[in-house]
Amino acid sequence: MKRKQTVTSGIATMLVLAMTACGGTNGATPNNGTPDPAPSVNEGTGNNGTNGTENQGLTGEFEIQYFVGGYGDSWWKEVLEGFQEANPELNITQTAGPNINEQTRPRWIQGDTPDVVYIDGAGSNERQMIDDGQLMDITDFLAEMENADGEKLTDILISQPTAYDGDRNYTLPLVFGSWGLFYDKAFFNENDWTAPTNWSEFIDTSEQVKASGISALIHTGVYPYYINGGLVDSAIVAANGGDGSILTQQANLEEGSFSGPAVQKALGQVVELVDKGLIDPGAVSLNHTDSQIQWLQHRAAFIPSGLWLENEMSKDIPDGFEFGFIPSVAQDAGENNIVIPYTNTIAIAENAKNPEAAKAFLQYAFTEANAVRWAELTGALMNVKADLSNTSASEVVKEAMEFFNSDTTTVAPVAVLNADVEKAKQDATIALATGRITAEEWMQRLEAAAAKARN
Amino acid sequence: MSQSAKRKVFLIVFLLPTFLFFCLFTLYPIGKGIQISFYDWSGGTKNMDFIGLDNYKQMFSDPIVGRAVGNDYFLVFGKVIGIMLLATFFAVAVTRLNVWGKNVYRVLFFIPNVISVVVIGVLWRYVYNPNLGFLNSFLSLFTEERVQTAWLGEPNTAMTSLLWPPIWAGIGFYMILLIAAILSIPKELYEAADLDGASQWRQFLSVTLPLMWEQMKVSVLHIVMTTLNGSFILVWIMTEGGPDNSTQVMGSYLYQMGFRQYHMGYAATIGVLILVLSLLTTMILQRVMKRDTIELA
Repeated sequence: MKRKQTVTSGIATMLVLAMTACGGTNGATPNNGTPDPAPSVNEGTGNNGTNGTENQGLTGEFEIQYFVGGYGDSWWKEVLEGFQEANPELNITQTAGPNINEQTRPRWIQGDTPDVVYIDGAGSNERQMIDDGQLMDITDFLAEMENADGEKLTDILISQPTAYDGDRNYTLPLVFGSWGLFYDKAFFNENDWTAPTNWSEFIDTSEQVKASGISALIHTGVYPYYINGGLVDSAIVAANGGDGSILTQQANLEEGSFSGPAVQKALGQVVELVDKGLIDPGAVSLNHTDSQIQWLQHRAAFIPSGLWLENEMSKDIPDGFEFGFIPSVAQDAGENNIVIPYTNTIAIAENAKNPEAAKAFLQYAFTEANAVRWAELTGALMNVKADLSNTSASEVVKEAMEFFNSDTTTVAPVAVLNADVEKAKQDATIALATGRITAEEWMQRLEAAAAKARN
Repeated sequence: MSQSAKRKVFLIVFLLPTFLFFCLFTLYPIGKGIQISFYDWSGGTKNMDFIGLDNYKQMFSDPIVGRAVGNDYFLVFGKVIGIMLLATFFAVAVTRLNVWGKNVYRVLFFIPNVISVVVIGVLWRYVYNPNLGFLNSFLSLFTEERVQTAWLGEPNTAMTSLLWPPIWAGIGFYMILLIAAILSIPKELYEAADLDGASQWRQFLSVTLPLMWEQMKVSVLHIVMTTLNGSFILVWIMTEGGPDNSTQVMGSYLYQMGFRQYHMGYAATIGVLILVLSLLTTMILQRVMKRDTIELA
């Protein structure tokens, strides 16, 4: 078998490489084969021609790279179509797909990058791209930016751009969402279980669920960032008195930020779940599809995940299933809910060939109308304040929006960990959630990883 | 043109293109890989910092590398023993023993070879699924409580669980190889052995085994090479090296470091380790398995 496959894949690889080599001369524009003309833009905002025609908009080449995953590509196609209509002279190239990050990597290494990149999916990491000098510093542009409707960007964003190196912005959050725990409201009603609003209620409900013969909590053990986002991080912020700056301190790799009393208390809560047998014993070996399918089949009551969940599983949701969302359960009674947000960002490449068009695209895309379309087409939230109540956005997204707008909710800042520390955190959490290490060992591992990353 | 010159041109016409392809697709990537292993490089930019042997120093003190090497050799030994024993047994059974439906078995055992490795990985993930999987459902028939073992999630069962899919998938190919070897052994030898009163077992030891030794050697070397270089695929599909790095093999750790943690230089260093260990293991096995060639007169 192996020999056969090796030969076949060898031939395939050679063919691919040979074709790549042949195509290398026009690699700069792989989708249309014509060399880039010098980028140019008509700066005029109104009629600028003596011939009396409308503004022809931007000209030249404009290339955008976007990852196609759980959110699909219909929003992108629609928005880019509108952008094209607004700029008929602009030649737009869409470089997109589920493996786009790997596919365009050689181009990024060579410095032949698209103008705009949406950073999402496997193989993408905005912190690494910034460290590698791949993204343009857009601090001043974002501070002044007005969208196509003339609104000031900073006024309409739900989550402000993450600051790197102190106060610099390289990315603009496009998708805004929240981690949290999901449950089936109908199933809970049927069994007379109440959705928890704090830790002791969570333990009570979980014990009841367990007594009925199913697991209380199932999670995605192969990718422990699900349980980190949906449970551990909100527990850390809750234990820190609702102060989310601890996550920023961790992202800045500050010494002691992974081993303070707040972290200790939060890890103690995970240990409590392990000791009481409330975590599904099989969860450790499940990937997201496995764990989510089993949760949909009522083999467990709660699952930590993000707001994309309903959209992602839409084809497998059984009849009568009602998505319920709780941003956090680790807080004490009477304390605020904690929202651990995640964002997927969009950025302009440092080597963008048409930065004017790139900036114009951001201005075009970040409008309330596009935010409503995003919610309708993807079932998730775009990072622009928008009234979704009369839209066809999913109920779970509307419910989440209520949490974000509520006085009893604290939204933590977006913190992106260094990739090595992130991996150490995932490894330590899965070891903790299976009872193989103690909370102290978790903290030691993370402090060591942070110390190594600081050097 | 003289006869010898013609001969040379003839040879060059055949050899040169192959040699060029070999240089381009084998020697150059190996050289480039070795070169990258001396750099600190994220894999996403033009900037590379030369750091000498630092990656190597880090590798030798990295506990996960040690575990990955151990896991790789666990798979090597497990697969060599598992596949060779079963493939030899089935090959002898369908050629020398009077088994009913010989040809059906050949086809059945070969089927996994036409299935993509990815599909095999996904298939076995279902078999091992703790709540919905075949294995736990089957075992639950014999127990009062439902079996909920997370085969791929517990350090003491995860590596063994990763061993069965490649054995299952590998038997067919090596069985066909060995069947071909056995069928090329002249019938007269077995007839003579029968006349001398040799049992089936004696015939296997004294006739079959020595005469198919070359094919067995090739099979073992092939299993070793493909495991050290290719165990990555199944591991990545089934566990991604987890939980907590307990099923990491060199290939999966290389991928993790290069493409998930952005240390392409370090990943290249692990690649060099795979190259060195593969070469060493093959050389040692070549020596250990050397036998006098037995020629059929």
